[in-house]
Amino acid sequence: MGMEDDILKDFLAESKENLELLDQQFVELEQDPENEELIKSIFRTIHTIKGTSGFFGFTTLEGIAHFAEDILSKLRDGIIKVNEDITTMLLQSVDYIKAIVAELEASGKEPVDTEYLDFIVDLRNFAEKITKGVSTSPPEEKEEAKEETVAQDQDKGEDRSNKTKEEAQAKEESKEKSKEPEKKVEKAKAEPPKAQPKKKPPARKPAPTTTHLTESHVRIDVHLLDQLMTLAGELVLSRNRLTQLANQLNDPEFLTANQRMSLVVTELQEQIMKTRMQPIGNVFNKFPRIVRDLAKTAEKKVQLRIEGAETELDRSIIESIKDPLTHMVRNSIDHGIEPPEIRVQKEKPPVGTLTMKAYHEGGQVIIEIVDDGAGIDPDMLRKKAVEKGIITEEQAEALSDREALMLIFQPGFSTAEKVTNISGRGVGMDVVKTNIEKLGGTVELLSEINVGTTIKIKIPLTLAIIPALIVTSQGQRYAIPQVNLVELVHLNPKLMERDVQKIGNSEFYRLRGEILPLIRLRNVLRLGEQEGEQSEEGMNIVVLNAGGHLFGLVVDSISDSEEIVVKPLGSHLKHIPVFAGTTLMGDGRVALILDVVGITSSAAAGDDAMKHGSVVSTKTVEDDHQFLLLCTIGPDEYFALPLALVNRLDKIKATDLEFVGGKEVIQYRGHSMPVIRLENYLPISPLPEQDEYHLIVFHMNHKDIAFLVSQIDDSLDLAIDVEEGTFKQDGILGSAIIKERTTLFLDVYQIISMHDPDFFTQEELYADIPARILLAEDSTFYRNLLSSYLTGAGYEVVEAEDGQKAWEIFQSDHFDLVITDIEMPRMNGFELTRKIRNEGANEDIPIIAVTSLSGEQNRQRGLEAGIDDYQAKLDRDEVLRAVTNLLKEKTLETAA
Amino acid sequence: MKRTNETLPAVEKKGNVVEMAMADTSQFVTFYYDKHFFGLPIDDVIEINRTLDVTPVPMAPEYVSGVVNLRGQILTAIDLATRIGLSCKNIEKKNEKKEYNNVIMGNREEPISLLVERIGDVMSIPTEKIEPPPDMIEGIDLKYVGQVCKLDSKLLIILNSKTIENTEKKKKNAG
Repeated sequence: MGMEDDILKDFLAESKENLELLDQQFVELEQDPENEELIKSIFRTIHTIKGTSGFFGFTTLEGIAHFAEDILSKLRDGIIKVNEDITTMLLQSVDYIKAIVAELEASGKEPVDTEYLDFIVDLRNFAEKITKGVSTSPPEEKEEAKEETVAQDQDKGEDRSNKTKEEAQAKEESKEKSKEPEKKVEKAKAEPPKAQPKKKPPARKPAPTTTHLTESHVRIDVHLLDQLMTLAGELVLSRNRLTQLANQLNDPEFLTANQRMSLVVTELQEQIMKTRMQPIGNVFNKFPRIVRDLAKTAEKKVQLRIEGAETELDRSIIESIKDPLTHMVRNSIDHGIEPPEIRVQKEKPPVGTLTMKAYHEGGQVIIEIVDDGAGIDPDMLRKKAVEKGIITEEQAEALSDREALMLIFQPGFSTAEKVTNISGRGVGMDVVKTNIEKLGGTVELLSEINVGTTIKIKIPLTLAIIPALIVTSQGQRYAIPQVNLVELVHLNPKLMERDVQKIGNSEFYRLRGEILPLIRLRNVLRLGEQEGEQSEEGMNIVVLNAGGHLFGLVVDSISDSEEIVVKPLGSHLKHIPVFAGTTLMGDGRVALILDVVGITSSAAAGDDAMKHGSVVSTKTVEDDHQFLLLCTIGPDEYFALPLALVNRLDKIKATDLEFVGGKEVIQYRGHSMPVIRLENYLPISPLPEQDEYHLIVFHMNHKDIAFLVSQIDDSLDLAIDVEEGTFKQDGILGSAIIKERTTLFLDVYQIISMHDPDFFTQEELYADIPARILLAEDSTFYRNLLSSYLTGAGYEVVEAEDGQKAWEIFQSDHFDLVITDIEMPRMNGFELTRKIRNEGANEDIPIIAVTSLSGEQNRQRGLEAGIDDYQAKLDRDEVLRAVTNLLKEKTLETAA
Repeated sequence: MKRTNETLPAVEKKGNVVEMAMADTSQFVTFYYDKHFFGLPIDDVIEINRTLDVTPVPMAPEYVSGVVNLRGQILTAIDLATRIGLSCKNIEKKNEKKEYNNVIMGNREEPISLLVERIGDVMSIPTEKIEPPPDMIEGIDLKYVGQVCKLDSKLLIILNSKTIENTEKKKKNAG
């Protein structure tokens, strides 16, 4: 029961604050009746009270709040206008609510008193009157309302009022669908004789306003904590200065005293910081109960999963996300997860799953609420929005599905067919969005019909404390969030010369066989060059992870790792993508915090080559972004290949080439490596005689092999959009226009196979089980590439250019294994998998998803959809290994 | 910081001090940049700080000199001259370490630090002496000028704190 007590305590504390605010807001409203924001705000407060009291079963409180909300919703929708009577009635409601809250705090129970029930009846009648009044004329409505009050006031006889009450009560029941209506009636019946005559007259006065709402615990203004922390920071700085002095003076007594103070200061700072940080579990832990109760009320079965409860968040943020989260969970259960019967029909487990998870990503805290319910139909949202006059029909048509989903965040938008006790009148989502945006965060909604809905909230780490690495560039210090940090590399000039390669404008470093693009911080920040000295000192590389791919940031020097307090940048500087914020350093100076993802995009935008390159593709599918290596043979033959396949780039002298056994080889790192001249396998002009050639070295199947080219031009991060047509042939995957030149995409695997048919066949990855593979991939480039190495490994491959096509082929043919891309037009990989699993009734056919990025989140989704394995498209060895393993497993199963 | 209300010298000279004191007056924090004399309504100014260490911010708009640490709060430092388009020759040498004074101004949620050369006095000026700006002031973008006041020897340019602190695109207010 501890949990419930906690929630109750929170609820009471919060309600008290809100109620105080309400008084003020109502008065303001009277002066400014047109103020929609004000009405909305009041409405939300009452709505929250209604909702929460519903959980606890405080029927009286819920009743009052319900009808007050009724009136308010009409005000909000502009059906009625604020007048004195309405305000009076609403203020009275607030007074009653206060009285109940006070009683709840004192005894934990609602007050048992007919006075309150009488008021509910009055309120209800009033609400009904004003609604009816709308259809007639406003003045009448006013009078009617007054009459009603007068009638009640006079209290002519118990009988009469009792009757009206009972009638009203009966009506109310049918409307409200309250859980314990009978009890109410009973109470009403049982108590009037003694209670009514005494209590009624005072109740008509602005009810029990005098009730003092006593504070049970101290609530400290976050602002005060902020200031405390700032001061503690200043104290640390003073301490640092003092420590310096102490060291200079070298007085043992002074040193000891200073040391002692130092400890205390550190401790103090830690404690103050702690007051602000809380694990998100403090909020999450309240949900099992809430979910259970909600599910019960909605007659649904819901299982709640909580992940990342230990993620720490600033206190103020935790406070502010509580309500939005509750709203969203309510919505998920109420509108998202289907009743068990329907779930069974849809071939889903009868128990719905609701997952709440929190994690840090890219300097932000991400909270996700995932349900596996009915999902949201964007078309339905469009229709609704038009019906409600939120947008016009043309606007609705112009919206993408994603944008249409965002409609749910519009005020006054409720998608549920019926207004229920739980989710109410479409407040939820607009409140959620407003509150999150107030925190400087964003809300994203992803939904798939019949699969579920994911709400993703991103909250900046403002005020949060993060460990960061301090680096310098051109004398200025910068902080890099440790979450992005992978490793640090220092190169002495000798190593630098050997392992850092310049291709066009870009530099690369070979980190344990992987090619790592390098970005110079001073270039990103446009600080200008200082060529001379850097080569003497070597190079400091900070290897960073930017949303899945690695790059090296070259800085002048690397200092220390420190815990820093993130402070936001002012509005004049917010737009700079490379900075995530600022922080104060020990000496009181400011350091800027780098935004790792921002750096990659900024570096890309600054690169001229990138600008040319971006012409290549208009249809940018994020999924298909790849670093490409561009090279030439002779003056006019341009080629491209994925950088990820390349192990190393090198230069050799023409004299180093040897002819052995009819093949060209070169002495390379202690053994001879075969060298391929592309003109031997492709219809291109031969490699002209040069003193020096460039080598592109691949390491595959535990062997080295290299292509010989005239020149390595550049490397680009590009959306690959390859045309087949004219140039498609063995060894060429297709062509594309890059930097205004027709560039051929090399099929590395096939060229190697052409050169040495046995290169891949003696490997363990070669198909020892012959199999038919269905390959679904929309990008021509990848389709050809995958198909090429799968065929090369001995499999029979049938290609499909999207999920829909694949599904059609799948139905009319037999396959041993399916490989699918995730992002595809018409039908994506997840859907395809589900189709195959469910409709195709193929539980056991292995399905591998391939992607150019391997995101943990996609992997999770994939596994849920029934995908057996997840691989990167370009990682031939891993893909083949996965294929062999899965086929083996399958054979074993069928054998058994 | 000088917050003592000094009477406008010009007013004293004219000898109608009493009359002026009766009339409505507004107070302005004044400061100098190059040869120009500027003022800001006293209500828009939070405090004046002699020198704060400015940390440059690469890729920032030109008028932003960097950020400063004001007792743990990090403020954007805006160079007055560059902001209002003041075309004086010495600005070329901006990179030279020059001591600036910080006028901390704007709203309390997110104040900015305006870098000026020299701080003047706080002046009380009768409202009637304040005029709308002329059609043009040499070397200054009028967008940033709220009003002017003609003094005996010089022109007091009263800056429009709103346009100075607003971001260029006038997009969503932070909050």
